[in-house]
Amino acid sequence: MIMENEIAITAKNISKTFHISEDSHNTVKHRLFNLFNPPKRKDIPALKITSLEIKKGECIGLIGRNGCGKTTLTKVLAGVYPTDTGYLKINGSTMLMNLGVGMSQELTARENIYVSGSVLGLKIKEVDKLFDVIVDFAEIKSFIDTKVKFFSSGMMARLAFSIAVNAGADIMFLDEIFAVGDMKFQEKAIRVFESSWIKGKTVILVSHGMPVIRQYCSRAAFMKNGQIEFFGDTAKAVELYTADNQ
Amino acid sequence: MILKILNDWFKRSNKIERLWLLAKIEFKLRYYENKLGLLWALLKPILDIVVYYVVFQIVIKQNIPAFASYLFIGLILWNFFVESTTGTIQILNTKKYLYEYSNMNKIEIYISTLLSNSIGFFFNFIMFLIFYTFLEKESTGLSIQNFWILAVFLNLFILSLGMSLILSTLYIIAKDISQIWIVLTSFLFFLSPIFFKLSTFKEALPSFDYGNPIAGIIINARHVMMEHLSPDFQLMGFDYAYAIFLLLVGVLFLNRLGSKAAEKL
Repeated sequence: MIMENEIAITAKNISKTFHISEDSHNTVKHRLFNLFNPPKRKDIPALKITSLEIKKGECIGLIGRNGCGKTTLTKVLAGVYPTDTGYLKINGSTMLMNLGVGMSQELTARENIYVSGSVLGLKIKEVDKLFDVIVDFAEIKSFIDTKVKFFSSGMMARLAFSIAVNAGADIMFLDEIFAVGDMKFQEKAIRVFESSWIKGKTVILVSHGMPVIRQYCSRAAFMKNGQIEFFGDTAKAVELYTADNQ
Repeated sequence: MILKILNDWFKRSNKIERLWLLAKIEFKLRYYENKLGLLWALLKPILDIVVYYVVFQIVIKQNIPAFASYLFIGLILWNFFVESTTGTIQILNTKKYLYEYSNMNKIEIYISTLLSNSIGFFFNFIMFLIFYTFLEKESTGLSIQNFWILAVFLNLFILSLGMSLILSTLYIIAKDISQIWIVLTSFLFFLSPIFFKLSTFKEALPSFDYGNPIAGIIINARHVMMEHLSPDFQLMGFDYAYAIFLLLVGVLFLNRLGSKAAEKL
């Protein structure tokens, strides 16, 4: 018997189709003038009917070739995109992470740390405590009060990573995050990932690097053409992915 | 059971902190970034008042007692409404970074922006109080009825939040909503008793104070701030009904259209 509160994400029959119209009908004027001339629509079924369940504290790998729907699935599971069909229950705060995102260009590093920390569910006092750790980890000590828009992309990425590592949402979606920073930073990132994330947090790891998936994930999902072809044993999923790449 | 309630309360307390943090940052961004800063925010209503005073009291002799204060309270309420609606049409675009990477509830973005506008309103209101008590010659002074302004302002806040939700979610499917809204607001501006005599207004447009949700708010604000009266409760009831109805429509729109913001914008 699995208790309700041990489940991080329950998804039943979720799917996502994008409707792309060729010319943008997104003004009132355009809609009025083209009342009898509806735009040509193209439907892209990015995610076909899928069900899955992720337990708290699991580290799930998500693999598949480009365009197979990994990003769409993570965005739906994170609650960023609404699902078209089915039922989705997310227990806790989520955070999607790819390269250097989730920050406002107009705010300083300090403000971004507080805003992101707060969005991730921390209280101001908790962020106060973590503040120095985050700044030191990101190696941006002398730029705390600089607007993020003046940062280099590497600095941005390190800051985002550092916030995510140290503040962390209940459920983290990590999209190719080990590509951030120089070798020294990467080593540090992996150390922190191993020591704190593997324990306690629910992680969904999207990567094309099979060693990473093999090393950290208890289960993995292999996706193809918008569908989860296989969900379970990591070694089997990696095998399927490797075969698909041949 | 108790643990669960406490847990919920703690969660909510993080939410309140977060709203306040976002509001403060928003306020800072708006007023500390340009050179004149906060001064500009305080200067704007005064400059507006000068213009309308010249036109409506000196050129067109309306003879409204304490006209500068009459304008002052009307304009700061109106400015709050415009800033909170016109100013937030693109909010889902500018604040994308807050919802694109997490499952934070979007309504918090709206409430925090309106809170930031409320800070601005608060400063303007303090200025009004100073002006009315110390500078206005025809002032009748302060009274206990002044506290009703809180209820009037809450009404305006709900109304603005509702409109803001409706407009900014419509923006996702109709980008030219801002042009349409600019025309509508100027229409509303001239059909609200901001700078003309209330009796003239009521004569020309009978019962329009009930048709225009902003009109009643301004009328009641003047009742409680300048005339030592309690608000017109029937009018206030109407305006609260408008505000709550629009808020419900707004929340519906946010759930229907706003949830698609991440993929459409």
